[in-house]
Amino acid sequence: MVKEEWRVHSTMFGSLSFALFPVMIFGIAFMGSFLLPLMRTTLPAGNLTLIVHANYLMLGLMVGGFGLLGNEVMNRRFGQASLLAYSARSLPLSEKFIFLNFVVKDTVYYFFLWVMPFGFGYILASPFTGVPLTGTLLLLLTLTLSFLFGLCGVFFLSAVYARSRPVLWLVLLTGCLGTGGLAAMTGTNPVLFFPPLLLNSAFTWVNFLISSAILALLFGVAIDLFNPESVGSEKMYRDSFTPLMHRFSFLPNPPLAAKDTLDLYRSGSLVGQTIFSFLLPLAVIWFFLSLLGPFFPPHGLLFIFAITTGVIASTMFTWVTMFDTFGPYTCLPVAVSTLIASKLTTFAVLQVIPAIFIMAVAILSGEVAYLIPAVVLGISVSFYAVGIMAWLCGLSPNVLVYDVKVLFVYLILVGIVLAIFTAVAFTNPYFALSSVILVIPTWLLVQKAKVRWDSVDPEGF
Amino acid sequence: MPVVLEATNLTKRYGEVIAVNNVSLAVEKGALFGLLGPNGSGKTTMIKMLTGQTRPSSGSATVLDLDVEQDPIGIRERVGIIPEQETPPSFLTAMEYLKFVAAVRKIPDIEKKADWWFDFLDFADKKNVLCKDLSRGTRQKLMFTQAFIHEPALALIDEPLINFDPIMQDVVKDYLAGYVKKGRTIFISTHILEVAEEICSGFAILHKGTLLHTGPVAELTARGEHLPSFFLSLVRKDRRV
Repeated sequence: MVKEEWRVHSTMFGSLSFALFPVMIFGIAFMGSFLLPLMRTTLPAGNLTLIVHANYLMLGLMVGGFGLLGNEVMNRRFGQASLLAYSARSLPLSEKFIFLNFVVKDTVYYFFLWVMPFGFGYILASPFTGVPLTGTLLLLLTLTLSFLFGLCGVFFLSAVYARSRPVLWLVLLTGCLGTGGLAAMTGTNPVLFFPPLLLNSAFTWVNFLISSAILALLFGVAIDLFNPESVGSEKMYRDSFTPLMHRFSFLPNPPLAAKDTLDLYRSGSLVGQTIFSFLLPLAVIWFFLSLLGPFFPPHGLLFIFAITTGVIASTMFTWVTMFDTFGPYTCLPVAVSTLIASKLTTFAVLQVIPAIFIMAVAILSGEVAYLIPAVVLGISVSFYAVGIMAWLCGLSPNVLVYDVKVLFVYLILVGIVLAIFTAVAFTNPYFALSSVILVIPTWLLVQKAKVRWDSVDPEGF
Repeated sequence: MPVVLEATNLTKRYGEVIAVNNVSLAVEKGALFGLLGPNGSGKTTMIKMLTGQTRPSSGSATVLDLDVEQDPIGIRERVGIIPEQETPPSFLTAMEYLKFVAAVRKIPDIEKKADWWFDFLDFADKKNVLCKDLSRGTRQKLMFTQAFIHEPALALIDEPLINFDPIMQDVVKDYLAGYVKKGRTIFISTHILEVAEEICSGFAILHKGTLLHTGPVAELTARGEHLPSFFLSLVRKDRRV
C-alpha cells in the first residue's frame, strides 16, 4: 500500500518533484527555526506551538478525507483505477483487515512525508537556536499525535456517519457541549484540552498513555464500524441541468457552467468544501491573526485577513476541477482552453462566498468604512492567484501542493503581490482599492494558460 | 468512393516507447472499417490521434478533409466518438448528460431523440439515474447514444461491443450495419475478430504499433480464408520475427 501511495503521488506530480517535497518541508523547518527568537518577541511560544499543532491536525483531517475518497478521486483522475484498499472482493482478506492496513499505511507514509522532515529540520537546527534536544523530540512526538488525531478523528466520524447520521450529530453535539462545559468550569481555553498540546506543555507518561488510549479507541471504533461501500443505491433526479443552463445563459459557456454547478452540489462538495476548506481554516486563521492584532497598524488586521481570504478563496479552483478530468470531454468538440475558461467562470461565481465572508468580517469587527476596499483587495488577490494557478497547472491545480518547482514559482509570484498590497493597504486602507489593477496580470495569465494547455496533450484519460 | 479518413506515416512516441509506428491507411465513405490488433498494439492511440485527442509525433492524418493537428475541435464537431473505457460524468443523470451533449453540439429536439435512444437500447428506466450509479453496460449504452445522437458522417468507436450482453450486441451490430448503408462511415477498433469478420467491409491489422496488413474483408472471403485465422497467422509470424 505504501508503494501504491508513492506511485499515485509520483504519477500525479512526477517522481523527482514529489521526492523533493519532504526535502522542502525539512528546509522550511530548518530555516524557520532560526526565526524562532524573532517570532518569540512578538508571539508567545505557546501560540506558535498551537499554530503548528493545528496545522498537523488539519493535515491529518485532510489525509483521512482524501483516503476515504481515494478511489473516486483516482477514477476521476486516471479513468479506470483501483486501490488495494478497495480489493476485499478479489483478495482473500477481510475488509476490516484491509482497512486496518490502510490506516497503518497512511500513518507511516505521511509520517515520513510530512512529520519527520519537519521534526528533523527543527532537531538539526536546535544546537544553533538553543532549543534543548528533548524539546525538539517532544515536538516530533506531539506533532505525530496531532496528525494521528486528525486522521483517526475523520475515520471515526465518517464511520459513524456511514452507519447513522443522527448518531453523528449526537457525537458532535456531545463533544462540543463536553468541551464547552469543561472550559466553563475550569476557565481554561478549550483548545488547551487537545491531548497533544497538553502533552507538549507538560509531558507525563500518564498524559501520553491517555492520548494513546483515546487514539486507540477512535481507531478501534472506526475499524469496527467500517463499511467500505454502500451498494445498490441508485440516486435519481429530475432534469435540473436545463433550467440551470438557462439561468446561466449570461455566462460564456452555460452548459459547462451548469454541469460544474451540478457536480459541486450533488457530490456534496459545495457545502463540505465551504465548511472544511474555507470557513474552518479561515476561522482558525482569524483566531490566530487576532492574537497578532496589537502588532499591526490600525485596520491592518482586516486587510491581512482579506488578503488571506483571497489566497484561500483561490483554492476554490481545485473544487471545480478535482472530480473532473478531461476524459469525458474527449468525445466532444471542447478544447482544453474552453474547459479552463468554464472552470474559471464557475470559480468566479463561487467568489460570492469570500466576498460575503469578508463583508461579514468587516461588519463584525466594526470596520464597515473599509468594507469595499477589503472586499476588492481579497477578491483581486483571489483572481490573481487563480490566474497563476491556471497558468502553472491547467486543469490539475492539485499538482501545486506537491510539485516543488511549481509551488516555488507560485509562492514567489503570489508572495511579491501580497507583500506589495499589504504595504499599500497598511499605508492607507483606501489604497487597497488599487489592487483592482491585478485584473491586468490575471487576464494575461489566463490567456497564457489557455495557449499553454491547448498545446500539450491533455492528461487524465 | 471518396476517402473520409486518411493517415500517412502516422507515428506516436511516448518517450522511448513507439506506440504507433509509421502507419498509413485510408477509409472510404460508407465503409465499416475495423482496426484489429492484440492488446497494446496501438489501436487506442490510433483513434486518439485520428480524433485529435493526442498529437502525432510525426506523420499526418485527415478526417473528413480536416487535418487532425490543425483542427481537432472541428473534427470532434463532425464525428461521433466512443473513447475506450471513458464513462459519462458522474453527477449528471443519463438524460441530463444527453442534454449536456446536445447543448455542446447544438443538437435540436434532444428530448425526442434521447427518448428514441432510451427505448432503442432499452434503458428508459435509467434515464433519471446518476451516471455514477449506472452499471457498466448501461454506461456503454449512454456512451453509444452520445456518439450517434447527432448522426455524424463518421463515427470512431473503441471496442463497440464491450460490456454489452449478447442481445444488445446483436442490436448494436444491426444498427452499425444499417448506419453505413445510409452512406455514413464507421471506424471501429476491436480485438473480437469474429465480430469484425461479420460486420466489417474493410480492415487493418496492427501489431506492436506497426501495420501488418490492410484491405477489404471480401478479398479474404474470395480466397476462402477467414479473418480470425488470417489475423492469427500474421501476428504469430510477426512475433517470431
